[in-house]
Amino acid sequence: MSAVDYPVDEDEQTLLERIQDEPGPALKLLAVVVPLFAVEFGAVASLVMSLPWSAVGSALPGFLQGLAGALAGVGDALANLPTLLSRSVIDNSGYQLPSGEWVGTTLGLSPAVAWLLRVLLVYAYGFAWMAVGWWVYLVYRDNYRYADWAPVDDMVNRFRNHSWGLLGLAIIFAFVVLALFAPALGPTTVEANISDPYLHTVEYFDEEAGSVQEIYVGDANRDSQSRGQGGDNVGPLSYDQFGRFHPFGTLPSGKDLFTFMAAGARVSLFIGVLSLLIAGGIAVTFALATAYYKGLVDLGVVIASDSIQSLPQLLFIMLASFVLSGTWLANLYSGGVVLALLFGFTGWPGLWRAVRGPALQVSEREWIDAAKSFGQRPSVTMRKHMLPYVVGYLLIYASLTLGGVIIGVAGLSFLGLGINAPTPEWGRAVSAGQPYVPTQSWHISLIPGIMVVIVVTGFNALGDGIRDAIDPQSDVGTGQQDESAAAGGGA
Amino acid sequence: MSRWSYFARRVLLMIPIVFFGTTITFLVLRMGPMDPAAAVIAGAGDTEAYESVRQSLGLDQPLWLQYVEYLRDLFTLQLGYSWVVNRGRPVWELIGVYAPRTIWLGFWAVMLPLFIGLPLGFYAGLNPNTLSDYLASFGGIVWRAMPNFWLAVILVSVLTQSDQLFGFDWESWLVQTQIVTPPELQRLWVPSNFLAAFKAILPAALVLGSASMGNEMRIGRTAVLETVNENYVETARAKGVPRRTIISKHVFRNALIPLVPIITGEAFLLLGGSVLVETVFSINGLGYLFYSATINADLPLVGSLMFFFILLSVGINILQDLLYTLIDPRVGYGGEGA
Amino acid sequence: MAADANATGVDERRSSARQTQSDDVDAAESADDRLLEVENLRTVFHTERETIRAVDGVSFGIEEGETLGLVGESGSGKSVTARSIMGLVDDPGELLPGSSVRFDGRELTDLTEKGYESVRGSGIAMVFQDPLSTLNPVYTVGNQIEEALSLHRGLSGIDATEKAIELLEDVGIPDAARRVSEYPHEFSGGMRQRAVIAMALACDPDVLVCDEPTTALDVTIQAQILELLSDLQAEHGLSILFITHDMGVIAEVADRVAVMYAGEIVEQAPVVELYENPRHPYTRGLLRSIPSTQQGAERLETIAGEVPTPNKAATDCRFAPRCPEAFDACEEVHPVPVPVEEGAEDHTAACLLYPEDEPRKAAVDRHAAAGDEDSPESAGSTGGDSR
Ligand code: SF4
Repeated sequence: MSAVDYPVDEDEQTLLERIQDEPGPALKLLAVVVPLFAVEFGAVASLVMSLPWSAVGSALPGFLQGLAGALAGVGDALANLPTLLSRSVIDNSGYQLPSGEWVGTTLGLSPAVAWLLRVLLVYAYGFAWMAVGWWVYLVYRDNYRYADWAPVDDMVNRFRNHSWGLLGLAIIFAFVVLALFAPALGPTTVEANISDPYLHTVEYFDEEAGSVQEIYVGDANRDSQSRGQGGDNVGPLSYDQFGRFHPFGTLPSGKDLFTFMAAGARVSLFIGVLSLLIAGGIAVTFALATAYYKGLVDLGVVIASDSIQSLPQLLFIMLASFVLSGTWLANLYSGGVVLALLFGFTGWPGLWRAVRGPALQVSEREWIDAAKSFGQRPSVTMRKHMLPYVVGYLLIYASLTLGGVIIGVAGLSFLGLGINAPTPEWGRAVSAGQPYVPTQSWHISLIPGIMVVIVVTGFNALGDGIRDAIDPQSDVGTGQQDESAAAGGGA
Repeated sequence: MSRWSYFARRVLLMIPIVFFGTTITFLVLRMGPMDPAAAVIAGAGDTEAYESVRQSLGLDQPLWLQYVEYLRDLFTLQLGYSWVVNRGRPVWELIGVYAPRTIWLGFWAVMLPLFIGLPLGFYAGLNPNTLSDYLASFGGIVWRAMPNFWLAVILVSVLTQSDQLFGFDWESWLVQTQIVTPPELQRLWVPSNFLAAFKAILPAALVLGSASMGNEMRIGRTAVLETVNENYVETARAKGVPRRTIISKHVFRNALIPLVPIITGEAFLLLGGSVLVETVFSINGLGYLFYSATINADLPLVGSLMFFFILLSVGINILQDLLYTLIDPRVGYGGEGA
Repeated sequence: MAADANATGVDERRSSARQTQSDDVDAAESADDRLLEVENLRTVFHTERETIRAVDGVSFGIEEGETLGLVGESGSGKSVTARSIMGLVDDPGELLPGSSVRFDGRELTDLTEKGYESVRGSGIAMVFQDPLSTLNPVYTVGNQIEEALSLHRGLSGIDATEKAIELLEDVGIPDAARRVSEYPHEFSGGMRQRAVIAMALACDPDVLVCDEPTTALDVTIQAQILELLSDLQAEHGLSILFITHDMGVIAEVADRVAVMYAGEIVEQAPVVELYENPRHPYTRGLLRSIPSTQQGAERLETIAGEVPTPNKAATDCRFAPRCPEAFDACEEVHPVPVPVEEGAEDHTAACLLYPEDEPRKAAVDRHAAAGDEDSPESAGSTGGDSR
């Protein structure tokens, strides 16, 4: 249990000074990071702009609204900057002439190939960032860190040799890239295909008319439905009659399942991360406070957390989100924000229980007494001397809990609660495909379900990996929190 | 502190927990943005009807009085009436109708993993690094990552089509049962009734217990592996205790200790998870009742059901502490905090 | 506990031990007649990368009523020796062929687990280092003693409980009738170790293997437990294999001492002889590292370096890297135990410096020749063995 035993003394120089002393490696790093960022700057801006600003804006007092409006204008302009990974760089929408030739796609590639190329490009870009992250760590460790060695180095090394944890990391990486780059990854976009199909059109070559026709996406979707036995079906990796490629097939409504899944990943990730920030923040604050003050404070938090845990989480969230429906909060991000808040406020007790032990342990160390004895302020003692030790443990359970939140949100949307249609959510695809599972349209329910299994397993594996990296001797006693954390309230 | 005074303390601690849990529910229901009376009327009624609902729910009184009465009613177990879902029926009566199905489902969802997952895990732990161990471990990992509702959907489809898919008809196998329907729970002591009820609940219970099964397999394995390496097991060997006795006496009981909270914790998760499984399998149980009460804005019913759930979960907690106290004599020793 | 201060105490103990032994034991110094006879014991552990030779060719014997002290630093293979005798070495560990453990004339190494169960406890019982983890926390102390009683003496019910209380009284636990139904965590450290000893005695063994029985205890309690052990030994005529890293403790309990280093016994001698006249450079180092009362709080002199973990058969002296007296041949010849001088059959050392009265060259050749005899077996078993 010697994770972060020795908080390093105040560095003599600040990081900035050390970089100034030896700018070489940092500049090299910068030379890679800046272009890497620049090619996607527009996308970052548009990601920022895609947040539900309008809802925030309308909640602001009048004079700020003007300012917000101006900012939004700038943001939108930035969002329209061309980027490396925009859909137009490798375009997969086009139509096929009877000769077999594709018109409209990049280089005349078939849409499947064009789409695949774009996916590869996106993942390569994501991978580049991961490599840069690793490089930053190396540069920092080797050139700029005050200490030659820190406990975190050992943890990183142990994690690097933990193949199960690495598998988890790879899955989560794939999932996060899918979520972040959802608009670029889908063969089409949510707006064009799912939310506003009658505001967009597709071109296709009509054999009867012998010419290229234009049709509303909504109308085209009606002919690309997947409705099982005897009915229409557009399965995985196939084209519909309008020359549109569907990597995962289509939904019963004829909409593209992959686009749906990618956008759904974004929603899941958003809710998961936001709820964990809330739950983790509360949990750590309480864990530090209870470990520092013990006694009554501890008892109080025990009662508070047990009270919250005595409410069945999924049912309570169901109830609370129903009660909150109709408020402005419920419209933020199609209900995603409410869910994140609810999962956060009902989820902290589990996290708190998980980090309470480590926090108590570190509070028994001499240096805490030392800090107390020379009159250090409690908040500083907690932040500087206790927090670093606890954070690792928090990460373990955060990873496990994230999987649970994803299952929970999917379960709620399966019931038609939580995320409002038409915003995609994986659970709703399972629900939509429910009648078709034993038919040729099996993909509608099966693919989202399998994705959940893979992602959740990934988070569990990552959590296991972090645990073994932080605390190689960890024992079965920590099992309880794991298991209930990963369960998503039983969904 | 002796084991039993520790246990008594734990039970005492449950009182504020029920109290606060109920308070949270009150806050959400009465102080939330939704007016229960308006929700019950759902815009259909006139002001008169609205006023009468308000009055009979006590909403016209000051909030603190509402709170006191709310608590008083619940703590004296007066759970009130349903207003929408089953208008005018006492909540207790509804619980009487719906609860047995959930209990039947929950019972098997706890028992099946206990009798399948745990032995498998123990077996894997006693034979580590064999093929069956790897299968059990990997199965456990994937099994517990499966969302219940999804598994339920798949299972329902597979079973209804079992004839076409496997050439074996589940519905008429052994006894005639339907898949998507509540189980008949009359006269269970008659073997054929019992069998039918068991078969009807089996798929749902398997689904609901799936995560537990995976967990118990994993934790059971680790617990046995660690216990086998304990010094007292070596000591028992050194004094000539035969292997069978070592495993049954010295290994299993100790390995059960970390499993107690897992098992009870799962019993608790079943409460929440039952909503989805009951919906997919059309088992009209408590979870389904709660769900329909919620989406139909039957807030009085929802509040009472929530209180019932709180009591259940506190009951499970007490059961957990009782099991702990029975299995582990060290409980309460060494001043473990509340 | 200074070495020389102890010498007188050792003398007394030794002579009293001698008295309990009948003269014919002395006469029958022949190895085969001793109660417990360990010969050429080799215990290896297979890891993914290599095969660790935890015990590498250990031979010793214990006579009836005798206490053999096995001493060495941690990692020298003492505990593995004890577990090998008890048949407690499991996968990934194994005893190499050629190893022999004979108890009362019966070869134990070919026994099945089932067969071993009848020897464990009733023939040879063991007391472990950490009394807390040695007792199963979920059963009462009485329950665990009664378990042994029912296995080895066929007692059950009230009889067993009464006998358990009696045993607890024997090992000096006050208020035994009440404590018999208490759980291990309700006992103090010293009391726990007494209970563990009672549990071992419940089996009615001939040999007691004590693996660092006092290491986890503080000094005063340590002394009490040692006293208890020697009382019980006299009472029951027990033979004891006493394992420790503490030369001071060894001086108090042992009749003879075997010093282990890196899986081998490097020196073996009667206790007084060993303390007064240590021969092996390692033993000398160990004895110098005992805290001496005369020198007050002066820093312990420890031997620089660490015990190596051998993973192949030795072709040199394993102590050579740390040995102050090492010379060229030490790198090339593996020393075997030889009498330290002509006629000193009960004092052996595995060091090229001995036999002391032979010319150095002849001594080295003697070791080399003995090593060659041994080598086909030992070399053959390492080559292909590392998985
Ligand atoms: S053989 Fe050589 S190295 Fe080994 S102990 Fe003797 S003198 Fe030292």
